[in-house]
Amino acid sequence: MTQPGTGEIHLRRSVGTATATATSAGLAFAAIDYLGVVSIMAYAPGASGWLAIGIGACLVFLVAGVFSELNGLYPTAAGIRLYLGRALGNRTALTVTFTYMTTVVLVIAADAFLIGAALRHVLHEPAGLAYLWIAVLLAVATAANLRGVVLAGWVQTVVTYVVLASTAVVSIIAIFHVGGSFRTPLHLFGAKPLSGIQAIAFALFLFAAFEWVTTTAEEARGPKVVTRALFLAPLLIWATSTLFLLGLSHLVPFAALHHSPYPQLLLGQAALGTVGELWMLAITVLTALNTFNGGFLVASRFIYAAAREGNLPPALARLNLNAVPWVAVCALATASAVLAAVIFATGQWLLLVAVGATLEAGIYALASASLLILRRKEQRDRPFRLRGGRGLAIAGTIIFSVFGLATGLADPADSSRFSPAPLLVIVVLAAISALYVNVGVPRVQAATAARRAAAARPSRRPPRPPVAAAESDPTVEPMEP
Amino acid sequence: MAGWDELDEALADYTTSCNSNERLRKMQRDWTRTLHFICSDTDDTFTMVVEAGEITGTPSGHQGVPDIVVTTDSETFCDMFWGDLNPVAKYLRGDIAVRGSQEDVMRLDAISYVIWPDA
Repeated sequence: MTQPGTGEIHLRRSVGTATATATSAGLAFAAIDYLGVVSIMAYAPGASGWLAIGIGACLVFLVAGVFSELNGLYPTAAGIRLYLGRALGNRTALTVTFTYMTTVVLVIAADAFLIGAALRHVLHEPAGLAYLWIAVLLAVATAANLRGVVLAGWVQTVVTYVVLASTAVVSIIAIFHVGGSFRTPLHLFGAKPLSGIQAIAFALFLFAAFEWVTTTAEEARGPKVVTRALFLAPLLIWATSTLFLLGLSHLVPFAALHHSPYPQLLLGQAALGTVGELWMLAITVLTALNTFNGGFLVASRFIYAAAREGNLPPALARLNLNAVPWVAVCALATASAVLAAVIFATGQWLLLVAVGATLEAGIYALASASLLILRRKEQRDRPFRLRGGRGLAIAGTIIFSVFGLATGLADPADSSRFSPAPLLVIVVLAAISALYVNVGVPRVQAATAARRAAAARPSRRPPRPPVAAAESDPTVEPMEP
Repeated sequence: MAGWDELDEALADYTTSCNSNERLRKMQRDWTRTLHFICSDTDDTFTMVVEAGEITGTPSGHQGVPDIVVTTDSETFCDMFWGDLNPVAKYLRGDIAVRGSQEDVMRLDAISYVIWPDA
C-alpha cells in the first residue's frame, strides 16, 4: 500500500513549514503556560528558571526526534493510536489515548478560567463575575464549533506569531526596565537538587501538546514538514518562555506572582503600566482562539472517530447539518464548563499545571517506549530516523518517567512540600479509562453488533460472476473452455 | 482484486445514493472538492468531483489538482462504495491511507455514515 507522505502527491491546499510550526507552537502556547512559568519559578530560585527551561527544551528535542520517527512510520491523524496500538496493544493504546484526551478538556477549562479571571481583574468586576466570563467564552466557542467555524490556517499562523512576539516584546521591555534585579541566575540546583529536577519537569509542561502537529501529517506538503515543525516550534516556545521568565524575575516579586492566575498582566503592568496590562489581556484572549479552535477540533474529531469505530457510544458520532459531531462538541463544552467551575470554586489552578505536566511526561515516556518496541517490529524505511534511537529511546523512557513522578508528587501551592494529588488525579483518570476500555467498550461493541444483526442488512455489493471471481482469486483454477 | 468495471458499478451506486440523500446534500452544501483515488493493488486510479455536495463526475484517471488523495486496495474501495464496510475502522488500522485536511477526511467518512449509518 502506498504510504502517505512518502509519495510525491501535490494537494490543492497543503500545509508548509511556517504553518505547521505555528500550529505546533499555537497548540502548546496557551494561557496556562504563563502559570507554567510561575510554577518553574516556585522550584527554581531567583532567575535560575531560565536554565530549567533550557534543559527542558533540550529534552523536548529528544521528544521531537521520537515523534518525528513515529510520524514517519505512521503519517496519519490517527498516528498516536496507531503507534501505541502497534507497540503496546489496542486496549493499552485506547486507555492511554482516552486519558491523553482529558488533557484537552483540562487545557480548555484552564484557559477559560484564566481568561475569565484576567478579564474580571482588568475590568475591576466582583470575583463572582469571572465565572460569567468563563461561561460566555465557552458558549461562544461551542456555538462557533457547532456552526462549523474553523480558523483558516493563515489566521492561526498570524495569531500564534502575534502572541509569541508580543509576549517576547513585553518581556524584553521588562528585562531592560530600571529598578529590577536578577538574583541567583545560576542557582538551579543550589537550594535543593530535587527542586531543580522539579523545575525542569515543570518546564516540559511549557511545550505540552507541541507534538499534536503530527495530526496534520496528511495535509503536510512533504514528509519533512512535520519534522521541521517538531524541531522549530520548541525553539520559539523556549525563546518566548525564557524571556517571559526573565522579565518576571526581574520586575515582579515572586510573592505577588505565586497566587495570581494572571502573571502576564502583572508583567504588562510592571513594564508598561495600564497599556502593558491591556496589551497582555488582549494577548491572553488571543491565545483562546488557538486553544478553543484546536482543542475542540482535535478532541471532538477524536471522539467522533472512536464512536464510529465502535469504541464509544454511537450517539457521540451524530452529525449536525454543518457536518459537526454536535454531541461530542456539547459533551466537551459541558465537561470543560464543569471543570472550570471546580477550578473557580477551589482556586486549584496550579494543580492543573502539575497534572498537565505529569500527563505530558508520561506520554513522552510512552512514546519513547513505543519507538523502542517499533524499532524491533518495523524494519521499513522512514523519512526520519533518530540517530542513536535505541539508546535515546531507553533514556527517554527512564528520564520522562522520573520527571512524571517529580511533577506528580509536587505540591503546586507550596514548593517545599510533596503532595500525591497530581498523580492521584491521573491514576483516577487512567483507572476510569482502563475500566471503560475493558468493560464499557466490549458492551458498546456487543450492542452495535446486536443492532446490526437485528437490522439483518445484507451486503449491497452484487455477487461477482464466477469467471470474474476465478480471475481475481489466484487460488481458483481457471475453468477449461 | 476488483477490476475497473466493478469499481465503476460501485461508484455509480455511491453517486446515486449520495446525490439522492437530501440530508447529506444539505450537510455538504459548502463542500466542493476534487478527490483522487489510487488502488494500491491494481494501480487503477480515478477521480471524484464534488460540487456543493453533489458528485458531478467519477472519471477514471486523475483529473485536476486534488484536495484529497485516498489510497487502498480495490476490494476495500468496492466495499466502501457499496456501503459494506466502515471506512473509519479501516482508516484507524492504517489500511486506508489519506492525504488531505482532517476536516475533509471527516467529511468523506460522514458521507458513508449518513447514507449507511449501520455499516
